[in-house]
Amino acid sequence: MEFTIEKDAFVKALQKIQGIVERRNTMPILSNVLIEAADNVLTFIATDLEVGMKSSYQAKVIQDGRITLSAKKLYEIIRELPEEPVRLITKENDWVEITCGKAKFSIVGLSPDEFPFFPKINESGFLTLDSSKLAKMIEQTSYAICHDETKYNLNGILFKINESPEGHRLVLVATDGHRLSISENNIDGSDIESLEKGVIFPKKGILELKKLCDEEEGDFKLGFIENSAAVIKGNSTVVMRLVDGEFPDYTRVVPVGNNREIKVKKEIFLHSLKRMAILSSEKFKGIKFEITNDSMEISSSNPELGEAREELEVHYSGEKITTRFNARYLIDVLNIITDDEVILLLRDEMSPAILKQAGSEDLLAVIMPMRL
Amino acid sequence: MGEEAIRIIMHIDMNAFFASVEQQSNPELRGKPIAVIGRGRTVVTTASYEARAFGVKTGMNTWQAKQACPQVIFVIGNNREYTRISVEIMKLLQEYTPLVEVFSIDEAWLDVTHSLNLFGSAENIACLLKARIRHCFGITCSIGIAPNKLLAKLASEMKKPDGLTVISPAEVTRVLEQMPVQELCGIGRKMEQHLLMMGVRTCGELGRYPVERLIRKFGIVGERLQQMGRGIDESPVVPVEDEQEVKSVGHSMTLERDIERRQDILKYLLQLAEMVGRRARRYNVAGRTVHLTVRFADFTTIGKQSTRTNQTNQSNEIFKEVVSILDTLDLDQPVRLLGVRITNLCYQRQQLPLFEEERRKVLATSAMDEVNERHGGFTVTYGSVLDSGEKGSFVISPAWRPDGIRSVDVK
Repeated sequence: MEFTIEKDAFVKALQKIQGIVERRNTMPILSNVLIEAADNVLTFIATDLEVGMKSSYQAKVIQDGRITLSAKKLYEIIRELPEEPVRLITKENDWVEITCGKAKFSIVGLSPDEFPFFPKINESGFLTLDSSKLAKMIEQTSYAICHDETKYNLNGILFKINESPEGHRLVLVATDGHRLSISENNIDGSDIESLEKGVIFPKKGILELKKLCDEEEGDFKLGFIENSAAVIKGNSTVVMRLVDGEFPDYTRVVPVGNNREIKVKKEIFLHSLKRMAILSSEKFKGIKFEITNDSMEISSSNPELGEAREELEVHYSGEKITTRFNARYLIDVLNIITDDEVILLLRDEMSPAILKQAGSEDLLAVIMPMRL
Repeated sequence: MGEEAIRIIMHIDMNAFFASVEQQSNPELRGKPIAVIGRGRTVVTTASYEARAFGVKTGMNTWQAKQACPQVIFVIGNNREYTRISVEIMKLLQEYTPLVEVFSIDEAWLDVTHSLNLFGSAENIACLLKARIRHCFGITCSIGIAPNKLLAKLASEMKKPDGLTVISPAEVTRVLEQMPVQELCGIGRKMEQHLLMMGVRTCGELGRYPVERLIRKFGIVGERLQQMGRGIDESPVVPVEDEQEVKSVGHSMTLERDIERRQDILKYLLQLAEMVGRRARRYNVAGRTVHLTVRFADFTTIGKQSTRTNQTNQSNEIFKEVVSILDTLDLDQPVRLLGVRITNLCYQRQQLPLFEEERRKVLATSAMDEVNERHGGFTVTYGSVLDSGEKGSFVISPAWRPDGIRSVDVK
């Protein structure tokens, strides 16, 4: 195999797959990138058997062929090369020679025959989605993903399509067992069966998907092959194995009887929470809320440091409520809210609370209080 | 050093505590040689002074004790009673100073430096304490008075039973000169042997030994060792409330009899897991690492731990974890003692789970804890623990402060 490619394109291609390659080094081949050259196109493939990515780039291919090289080392090398075309030639026994300007590297790779198979993807029946819309939906839910690996069914985001009078709604849900976040958006009609049942995208795959969406605006295609999801955008394809598990019935978690509505300015609320959270140490994470007519008093105390309190103006009329939350959970939600005002819906001190934007219905967060 | 810097520390040690309590609650035993043993056990935990006169010692087998003193009376220990009396005594000590550090079920330090205005002299306090403890509980104690904890403990050991020994600052050097190092609290048999090999037998010698060589041999402890030899101890008397953060929550129990069947072992483990879980929950801590200790019939002891991805203080999760540790162990002998402990603690105010099933579990656990708190341990418990007779730790261990969070372990 022999090809030349511009340095910048090479760096970009390698950078893209850095997040995919296996770091734990259980199978050496998984820390390598497979480079295929044919018909003046270079294809870069990386996988950790859970999430795989394939991207193609124009290059001058002098001789077709395939090789695998350490994704990390190759990236480090190419990144430091001068701004000139890079030439790569394979030699015997999986040796590779890289030249750029006057720099020359000889590195050894692994046989491409050992590299895991990357599925062929047929785009028919794929759903078309808007990148920025999905990126936002992921942002609105990914903070609540559970990181406890024993709860594997929560280590991802549920993707589901609901039928509604207004048409198809795509719903993303994530939860860690203490809080839950739901993001909803209209999408153009589709009859993907697995999405109607709901599928769980893995944490790592979500991260890659988000990067892909953030890269540039535009549409991308989403489809399913057996127990994997495939995403195609521009020159890149990401395939991820879906989490094999049952996502809990989130609809049962969303409380319906929360009739105490508190409206508060987001920025003021967020900053106050951040201030109060300073004194809620590792030991006593909770901060206390006392809500009376048009006033919310937030306080925290830490036996080792002292205490803090702050009163906020809010819109509320009703009985006094006292409750306690983990400040982090509220801050996480407020950080991703774009509206100026938020609504907190409570029922009592032991029931889950709802936090949502005042102006739009696309985000709904459910947070469980702490015991007083 | 100014006058104010001199502290007056008192160490109080109940004489033959368990045996004295037994003799007090059963007048027939008074004045007789008795030995307290564990339930279903054959090892003497405490012997009365009458029995000690015949050579009956802690750690002896019943038959050895019988050999030393044929008329010895064996009494099965009653931990709950010892704990109750210990708590009462410690309360009494607090009437003389708030600075009371409970060291074990029958020992405590008091910093009386600032109590002298009220009570005159330290000797006066000591006499008051001795009289009151004897009057209320019929127990004698030995008291040591010295400028620090190390020397106070040494002093209380010097005269037993019913002693009162004062080591004044001026006497320290003289007292320590010929004092064997193993008399110091904190120097065990191993350390004593190491020191002997270095030619150090007495505290005086230890205090003069070049500190660099001690450091080379023992690490940072070396410096502390030399200070101990000189009778220097700056450590403050730390009352219970100020105690440093707890690092582990654990329980262990010596079983009534040695057991072999997995089923039996599991039953005790569940019980221990529940005891640990409940204690952890009461103090709002949860641990990530679960430890299992198994002591076999021949006293060999093995411990193993496993770390979870998240913290827990739920009894059933702790149980599950110790069972999986148990299954990795080679049990080629009957088991004598089991211990369960959680470490890697974090404090958590109860964050309620979002999903109802889990929430129900948490709420059920806390309801169970509440009942047990009010009506005594194991009023409500897991069905599989039911047929194993009395619950709780049978061991006569330093089970001081049974309501504290710190681990209750066999030494």
